[in-house]
Amino acid sequence: MNLFQYVRPAEQKTAIAAVAAEPTARFLGGGTNLLDLMKRHIMQPEKLVDVTRLPLKGITQQGNIIRIGALTRNTEIAEDKTILQNLPLLAMAINAGASAQIRNMATTGGNLLQRTRCPYFYDTAMPCNKREPGTGCGALEGFNRMHAIFGFSDKCIAVNPSDMNVALRALDATVVVNGPKGERKIPIADFHRLPGDTPEKDTNLDKNELITAVTIPISPFSKNAYYLKVRDRNSYAFALVSVAAALNMDGNTIKEARLAMGGVAHKPWRLTDAETFLKSKTATEENFQQAAQIAFQGAKAFKHNQYKLKLGPNTIVQALSVASGLKSV
Amino acid sequence: MNEQEPFCPNESRRSFLKKSTVITAVALTPAAAINAANNHWDEHIAAAIENVSLSVEINGTRHTMDIDPRTSLLDLLRENLHLTGTKKGCDYGQCGACTVHVNGERVLSCLTLAATTDGSKVTTIEGLANGDELHPMQAAFIKHDGFQCGYCTPGQIMSAVACIREGHASSRDQIREYMSGNICRCGAYPNIVDAIEEVQKGGQKV
Amino acid sequence: MSTKSNKVIGEPMNRVDGKLKVTGAATYSAEYKLANIAYAVLVSSTITKGTIKNIDTKAAENAPGVIAVISHVNSIKVPGYQEQHGEPGQPKPAGRPLRVFYDNKVYFNGQPIAVVVAGTFERARYAASLVKVQYDKETPQTAFEENMNKAIVPEQAKQNPKAAVADYTRGTPDGYASAPVKIETEYFQPTEFHNPMELQSIIAHWETDDRLTLYDKVQGTQPTQQNFAREWQIPVENIKVISTFVGGAFGNGLRNWPHETAAIIAAKMVNRPVKLMLTREQMFYMVGYRPRTWQKINMGATQDGKLVGITHSVVGQTSSYEQFTEGTLQQTRTLYECPNISTRYRLLPLHVSTPTPMRGPGEATGAWALECAIDEMAHALNIDPIEFRLRNYPEKDPDNGKPWSSNYIRDCYKMGAEAIGWKNRKQQPGMLRDGDWQIGYGMAIGMFGANRQAAKVRGKLYGDGTVLMQCAVTDIGPGTGTAMTQIAADNMSLPVEKVTFQWGNSDFPEMGNQGGSSTVNSVGPAVVAACNSIKQKLLEMAGRNKQEFANAKMEEVMFEEGKLFPKDKSTSIAYEDILKGGGARDIDVIEGARPGSERQQYAMYAFSMHFAEVHVHAVTGQTKVAKVVACADAGRIINKKTAGNQMIGGVSGGIGMALEEEAVIDDRFGRYITKDLADYHVAVHADVPKVEVLFVDKPDLLVDPIGSKGLGEIAIIGVAPAIANAIFNATGKRIRELPITPDKLI
Repeated sequence: MNLFQYVRPAEQKTAIAAVAAEPTARFLGGGTNLLDLMKRHIMQPEKLVDVTRLPLKGITQQGNIIRIGALTRNTEIAEDKTILQNLPLLAMAINAGASAQIRNMATTGGNLLQRTRCPYFYDTAMPCNKREPGTGCGALEGFNRMHAIFGFSDKCIAVNPSDMNVALRALDATVVVNGPKGERKIPIADFHRLPGDTPEKDTNLDKNELITAVTIPISPFSKNAYYLKVRDRNSYAFALVSVAAALNMDGNTIKEARLAMGGVAHKPWRLTDAETFLKSKTATEENFQQAAQIAFQGAKAFKHNQYKLKLGPNTIVQALSVASGLKSV
Repeated sequence: MNEQEPFCPNESRRSFLKKSTVITAVALTPAAAINAANNHWDEHIAAAIENVSLSVEINGTRHTMDIDPRTSLLDLLRENLHLTGTKKGCDYGQCGACTVHVNGERVLSCLTLAATTDGSKVTTIEGLANGDELHPMQAAFIKHDGFQCGYCTPGQIMSAVACIREGHASSRDQIREYMSGNICRCGAYPNIVDAIEEVQKGGQKV
Repeated sequence: MSTKSNKVIGEPMNRVDGKLKVTGAATYSAEYKLANIAYAVLVSSTITKGTIKNIDTKAAENAPGVIAVISHVNSIKVPGYQEQHGEPGQPKPAGRPLRVFYDNKVYFNGQPIAVVVAGTFERARYAASLVKVQYDKETPQTAFEENMNKAIVPEQAKQNPKAAVADYTRGTPDGYASAPVKIETEYFQPTEFHNPMELQSIIAHWETDDRLTLYDKVQGTQPTQQNFAREWQIPVENIKVISTFVGGAFGNGLRNWPHETAAIIAAKMVNRPVKLMLTREQMFYMVGYRPRTWQKINMGATQDGKLVGITHSVVGQTSSYEQFTEGTLQQTRTLYECPNISTRYRLLPLHVSTPTPMRGPGEATGAWALECAIDEMAHALNIDPIEFRLRNYPEKDPDNGKPWSSNYIRDCYKMGAEAIGWKNRKQQPGMLRDGDWQIGYGMAIGMFGANRQAAKVRGKLYGDGTVLMQCAVTDIGPGTGTAMTQIAADNMSLPVEKVTFQWGNSDFPEMGNQGGSSTVNSVGPAVVAACNSIKQKLLEMAGRNKQEFANAKMEEVMFEEGKLFPKDKSTSIAYEDILKGGGARDIDVIEGARPGSERQQYAMYAFSMHFAEVHVHAVTGQTKVAKVVACADAGRIINKKTAGNQMIGGVSGGIGMALEEEAVIDDRFGRYITKDLADYHVAVHADVPKVEVLFVDKPDLLVDPIGSKGLGEIAIIGVAPAIANAIFNATGKRIRELPITPDKLI
């Protein structure tokens, strides 16, 4: 790892100024992603600004909005009474990710910024436009079993690895950030980017901006929610595909659906067309199959991830079936 | 005994730099100094930067020292303090062998910068037993043979104790899920679960 | 003589090193504290084949705290390298090992090409990232399928037509073809990595310029000692190898690797002890693996389930500079009564590093294909898979006609079928279901040679009546120290608390590698021999001082609970008192044991049988192994707790092999894509169910006087096909390519 200056300011504005002062300075949260990337020489900040002691923890509810401080650790979110009561989908998604130790360490802000696990990104000897623009995409013609089927470009077919982000997308969260130019609120839909021609940018967050909170509106989706993650082993693995499903139901009729997928794109993939289809439909296998077909129009797979074209719809159907009560887990 | 000269390249350049840097060090801003330390390879400048002060309590003993900021908690324990009970299995947070407790929570010490533990309380496997009296989890691991080569064992035990304290040991399925962050390549998994189950059911304070 | 057994053998005693392991006090290779130690980090090549044109180490050398940067450009010459062996890859029986820092040639991606030595680990790691290398690249060949037609006959086979890897025919060549019912199948097993939890580590310390001490993660202290004595051309007795606690090895410590020589070179050049620990990526580059293997099995049988013929072909990958072969085809020749067997073994040299034995080497791979093919044939015949195997049970070793030293396979079928609930299995696949979960049952057999090698043990009886035993053998996890303590306690008729067994030091008496399931079979008899020698000396000493024992013969006395008794038990004398009376401080012996000619007369194998119940999700393909029963015919079991743990561990490894493990190379670059524990999946807690272990536990005294047959390898052999067979029973899908991941099942 390269040498760096380590500072731990007590105030938010000092921290922001400290990062803004250096071109390679970075905020340090739980460190579970950043330190890994630094050990592999993929990221080489020369200053780390430790923000973990800033007063940005805790989960509060104000009226219809739940606010999660950016430094709240993943475990805390997954076990919080308010979350479990109102946003169980979020707890399910977080618990499907990583390991207990990592969830104890990982912060909300850090999880939002989690970088791809693409093995070409992770290997400085391999071509990767995200890590080094212009060097090419190693996965495109390479080993792409874990890669995208939506929203990719010929520069990058990586996927966002986070489970939490998929639930946040389904729940229409907002990311609150603070920077040298002040505070702003970024809807989750606009937080993560598609790779396009600039895969080196994962998100629309400016490097000098600090995530301070995530807000989520409470909505009638808590009773019928399910996060289904399919992976290569029974725990502690990234998703082949995952589906966050939350339904607002009236008896057996779906008033409104929220659907998002992980493991399929550079950002959490919201299935808005399928949601539109499901409005006012009854919870049946046929309707779920049709919703899945609609969701997967336009999906395109590569040499090693053709299976996602079948596994994806299957998982959507299964997640909807469980969320609606049609099937038990 | 044949005294051998240590192999040391660029001896002359190094001493030249030592003279000149006393002057330059004064003039450099921290950022430029870092850059210099990384790229201009000067021992004196590096030594000035390679220093973060740390005061951390480990197994009940307070340690105060200056450290290289890059030092992980894992390497602080193993290399600086010679507490080698905590193990390095991957160094990237993928195996759990380095699990310790920081302020009562189980975390991966390989992905924890030692500097961030300033003012914290750390418990390692060496701090679990009460003198000669083994912790109930340690005794259970022996009884149920929850290990073979023993390398993942400290991490498994630290994780297991925390798993019970967290309330995540109410069934074998739950234990297996919440312990999945600790890999055992020898494959003693069912015996480990037996040990945790016994301690959980025994109701002793862990 | 008669020694009253204190019934310690077989007892599920707690491990003697348990307390050390659970308190973190067990010291592994990188954990020894030496004064003035320096840290070494390797630089690995990023090309697969070619030469190093230029290696720019200036930046690294000038980085803070760097003591040395060593490569082929400036490395001292290793004396042992200078032998006239010619270029690697030139025709020679098994090739030659990679010589680290010898020249600018690159043979595989990740090859160690430089080492950085610094005062701290972080400084060394950072400086290593500053080494800039320019290569002259050549086109690498790592693609297995594309290059399979270039597979060659192994050199061993060319030199010896009776070698295990030579073409073999029993009966009519390809005799399967005349059978009324035939199947033709191909099976694929990817490269698999040992991935023990402990990263390979070494501390090299030149105590003087020709005395070397190594704290080294290996499976054989003396083989390592001998190897480096040859490599550095110093006397064997000048090298000391300590490998007391080994954090798992599964075969990758059976030989020495370039990183060890690199550490020894570095230690000599910087004149300080050097500690080198591989990164997890480097564990994929340079310490061996189970080779990627393609297999074709054609099988023929009669309608009533008698095998007519099996033709089994194997292509396994190897490096371009060494030929690695393994016993993949042995089971096909041995496990079933079958008149016509044809086997062919071919090697595919690619630009990869050399494979090395990995738990159940050869047999685990061969069983994957054979036991699946047997299952496919049983299905084609509509005969229960256990029944089909029973109909072809060989009363003698069909490979050579020798009688079995012991074979309790049929007991295993009975025990295991009962325990798994085989009666619940439906012969037709896809018939059992619980909601979305498809349920199936499968089984498979494994076998491995009941090997034995020569070993020596030192035994010392102290004046206080305690006993110390020492042997150079390592303990990589099976509980060798504990088993030997039990054997010694039993044979000295002492409580285990009075016996200490020390291991893992090349200074101790002789033992080779810990591998091939041979440790108990080899060291155990030596322990017995040492105990017998001590007792003989005790009797002689007693005879000189106590009338009742004057001129007594061993058959006329009893050793019981730490005392010597004449047959009529009229008196007794404790061991301590014998020594006191004899004016001796202790009795100190070194005794050995070696296998004899009985090995030529009998077919000596240990057998395992695994039964699996799996649940496969019909929609997502996610597979859960719900239950496993592991049976072993491994002779006498010395310690049911540790032996049971071995069997459980083999199931964990087999679940990984069946469902998760796969190392992938991007053949455009010849470089591994999967090179850490997030990309290469080994089984985790949530993957492994409760495993029921059943031992036949009948001693086989032909293999060795202890009656043990060994079980480290059979613990994993057969697990993968048992699971694959269960998946077929659950879903009707026959997957012939490991690992069986969800995408293959939807």
